Amino acid sequence: MNRRFDLVIIGAGVIGSAIARELSRYRLKIGVLERGPDLLGGTSARNSGVLHAGFNNEPGSKMARFCVEGNRAFDRIAAELDVPYKRTGKLIVGFTADDYDRLLALKARGEQNGAPGFEMVGRERIRELAPAVEGEFALYSGSTGILSPFQYTLGLAENAAKNGAEFFFSHPVTEITRTKDSWLLAAGGEQFETRWVVNAAGLFADRISDMLGIPGYEIYPCRGEYFLLDPRLGPMLPLPAYPVPNYKTGGLGIHLTPTVDGNIMVGPSNEYIDGREDYAVTQKVMDLLIADGSRIFPHLKREFFIRNFSGIRPKLSGKKTGGYHDFVIERRDDLAPRAVNLVGIESPGLTAALPIAHEVIRLIREIEPLEQNPFFDPIRRRIPSFRDKTPEQQAELIRQNPDYGEIICRCETITKAEVLAALRSPLPARTLTGVKYRCRAMMGRCQGGYCQTRLADLLMAETGLSREELLYSREGSWLFIGEVHPQ
Amino acid sequence: MTRTFTCILCPNGCEITASAEGGGLTGCEGNRCPRGREYVRQELTCPMRNIATSVTVHGGTLPLCSVRLTGPIPKEEIFRAVSAIHAVSLEAPVRRGQTVLRNLLGLGVDVIATRAVLASDGRDG
Amino acid sequence: MKAVEKKIVIIGAGPTGLAAALRLYDRGERDIVLLEREREPGGILRQCIHDGFGLTRFGETLSGPEYAARFTERAAGLGLEIVTGATVIGLTSGRVVTAATREGLRVYRAQAVILAMGCRERTRGALSIPGRRPSGVFTAGVAQTYMNLKNTMVGREAVILGSGDIGMIMARRLTLEGAHVKAVFEIQPYPSGLPRNIEQCLNDYGIPLYLSHTVTQINGDSRLSSVVVSEVDGARRPIPGTEREIPCDTLILSVGLIPENELTRMAGAQIDPGTAGAVVDEHYQTSIPGIFSAGNVLHVHDLVDFVSLEAEALADSVLEFCSGSLRGCPIEVSGEGCGHVIPQTVSGKADVTVSFRPRRPMRGCIVSAVQDGKRIASKRLPRANPAEMERLSIPAAAFLSQSPIKVVLQDD
Repeated sequence: MNRRFDLVIIGAGVIGSAIARELSRYRLKIGVLERGPDLLGGTSARNSGVLHAGFNNEPGSKMARFCVEGNRAFDRIAAELDVPYKRTGKLIVGFTADDYDRLLALKARGEQNGAPGFEMVGRERIRELAPAVEGEFALYSGSTGILSPFQYTLGLAENAAKNGAEFFFSHPVTEITRTKDSWLLAAGGEQFETRWVVNAAGLFADRISDMLGIPGYEIYPCRGEYFLLDPRLGPMLPLPAYPVPNYKTGGLGIHLTPTVDGNIMVGPSNEYIDGREDYAVTQKVMDLLIADGSRIFPHLKREFFIRNFSGIRPKLSGKKTGGYHDFVIERRDDLAPRAVNLVGIESPGLTAALPIAHEVIRLIREIEPLEQNPFFDPIRRRIPSFRDKTPEQQAELIRQNPDYGEIICRCETITKAEVLAALRSPLPARTLTGVKYRCRAMMGRCQGGYCQTRLADLLMAETGLSREELLYSREGSWLFIGEVHPQ
Repeated sequence: MTRTFTCILCPNGCEITASAEGGGLTGCEGNRCPRGREYVRQELTCPMRNIATSVTVHGGTLPLCSVRLTGPIPKEEIFRAVSAIHAVSLEAPVRRGQTVLRNLLGLGVDVIATRAVLASDGRDG
Repeated sequence: MKAVEKKIVIIGAGPTGLAAALRLYDRGERDIVLLEREREPGGILRQCIHDGFGLTRFGETLSGPEYAARFTERAAGLGLEIVTGATVIGLTSGRVVTAATREGLRVYRAQAVILAMGCRERTRGALSIPGRRPSGVFTAGVAQTYMNLKNTMVGREAVILGSGDIGMIMARRLTLEGAHVKAVFEIQPYPSGLPRNIEQCLNDYGIPLYLSHTVTQINGDSRLSSVVVSEVDGARRPIPGTEREIPCDTLILSVGLIPENELTRMAGAQIDPGTAGAVVDEHYQTSIPGIFSAGNVLHVHDLVDFVSLEAEALADSVLEFCSGSLRGCPIEVSGEGCGHVIPQTVSGKADVTVSFRPRRPMRGCIVSAVQDGKRIASKRLPRANPAEMERLSIPAAAFLSQSPIKVVLQDD
């Protein structure tokens, strides 16, 4: 089928979705092309979920500017989009004199970048803030927070969709050609004709950049493995605690990060890999995470590990160069008119998502005036969750909707109402993992042992998909052969 | 000839050492009850097994009904038996103990439902 | 929220809850309610369609559903109050039970609460098997639910990790439904399940069992494509150089059951880190007065027949508790050469049966109860292995004092 848009965004990760959401404030017919069968198939779902302060970024860089801006503006967007988030602060913990100097340098840099709330603290204050953490002294960063990357991405995408952006899933872009006035994109067996293209393809941004006619970028996939710990440990770590960063490896060191849902994440590690979608977890790194993590969190024990997973950073700096490379957010009018090219959006991409979107809009506006969309509605609301309510409130929820009285995920106390909402949202879940990310089912201790079979039933009932058609997460991840006995 | 068997008749799973000659059982030890001896004798001549599987149910609150045999059949017939059973489908309501297939493969045992399945409209067996 | 006063609330209408309820009923108690999260009672037995249940209790070998029916049909006939579709989400030390149902929240204030929630399975994540995260990895119980209750076939070419009974049962189940089970791998140097299951589930179908092996990697971009298995040494560490890649599309994990004690913790009861179940006295009472625990939620059982017995003994204790006459249990019980010793405290004034598990397979061994350095009860076991829970009876008259008891298991 041939489709026409004013602007097409390639990639529905947190960046692509933020761009879609901000652009939907204007009168533009917006299309978003996503290669995966659902949202949250890439880096946006596989990160620490941290709202960074901006002390880790080079002064004057886009990373620094957009991180600090994004951090400052987050309370508002979290409220508009109903994104769970806590401004917990963060401790960067040190032991040696060398560490102390590094921490002072970080503080100075953070302040130079315009981030507020830094303080050097000693043993006692560390104990007060995070009793389970070991350290001689620490840099306390008051503006750092934690958020749900799932709900942030979902919120941006759903709000964009509500305001008219059209999302196309299982639509990887396979070909890009250009006429005088428009771009022609082949994706998912369809043709998309559009005036503007925005490349927000994350791990594949270099390929799309090439296809747009802007050569010279190469993404070096750098994998980070994580461990997820039992929420029972949650109270022991109310805020992220990191060791002093090592600049040579270009990562942030092995962190301990609480999630908004009460888990603790250990990691990420740092490893340049060959395959851009090699989301493996390795024995080597697992052992490393436990050893390193124990240094500042001695309570770490194998029995508290729920699961491990990995994320892949789309880095522009390779193994040999190390260090970092600033965000590429550009227009190259000589090579690719009416295209905005985003490459290498790694950390602090999540924090910087909205300012990045605004930068994209600024670049578009330099060429073309944009008219306001008078119907733009900034609000996205999830249905109330059951588990954090008082018994009286829970009883009322059930009274209004009996689906709230049917517990589907025992470990996380997720009800049928919430699962159905995930299956009926403006951008509904179409895979088991998609359901998981939207409502938290399967994220608990038993990892779907109780609820997976129920979720499969509900998924089939809502989508009409057969057993053979159900997917676990990505394209090709079939779950079942079919019926045991064909009826 | 001596052979060791693990008896499967009860959870004890006695390890039985049996000696046989000319097709007849000459000695047997390790069994905690006389049924073990019978088991070994049977294993030497014609091993028998009971099987459990399921059949589809139409119009019921569940898509499957579990079934088993009323008695063991020769081990070598297991897959033929399973094929024959899978060809059957039931209409709800199903009563527990209901005969699903009489005289399976002419082997003298029946296939019975091991649970009840209510009809979707609430009828039971 | 208004609480309904109820004498006895039973959480879970599986084999434990049902046996306890019927026992209470037979002893004259009527003020009972069972809260069951599934749509029908019966618990895990509903999906255990194979036989092997009920041999000691009923003298017959029944399938799981048939064993359950002995209790559920009687309970229905007697009009016992079983609320299905009710998930208990709150339990306090004051015995207030909160359950979510489609009709609203049900809150009970109970004189006694019986915990009968059963267990969940150990997961891949808890094992931390390296490799990718493709679809096609199922715990054995989940695969069983799909195949036996949902008419859903999970795969064609399967490898099974763990020689526990559930894994072996699923090996047979998958084979009977047309899948090809390539092998079962067990990390220990001995099988985890009953010998009869090795015979009737593996040997019968020519499925090889490899001891001292484990899965060291999971491969596959989207669906499982292969696993790498390695031999392990005495310390269960993979031996380099022994890796073998096995193409498959399904990995079934049968690597342990964990008692489901969320509510037990919520109520503040003490948990035994060895069993992962509550610490109980000889009355099956937890450290919270009036809260009792039995069945798989207390310690993982092998035979449901003993679950029923345990539940009935618990029911008797509950009645004693309600009439105010439960004996104190000051004598601590621990194990030497064995683990999972239940109960953890006894009175010393009544006959008691202690259950335990050997730590390794043994032949020709003796288990003794030792108090004040003296053997007060003992039993010879021709064979013992970790897959089989064992019992030792200690008569009341045998107790010498109120000193702690050690259950000692040693080679003869």
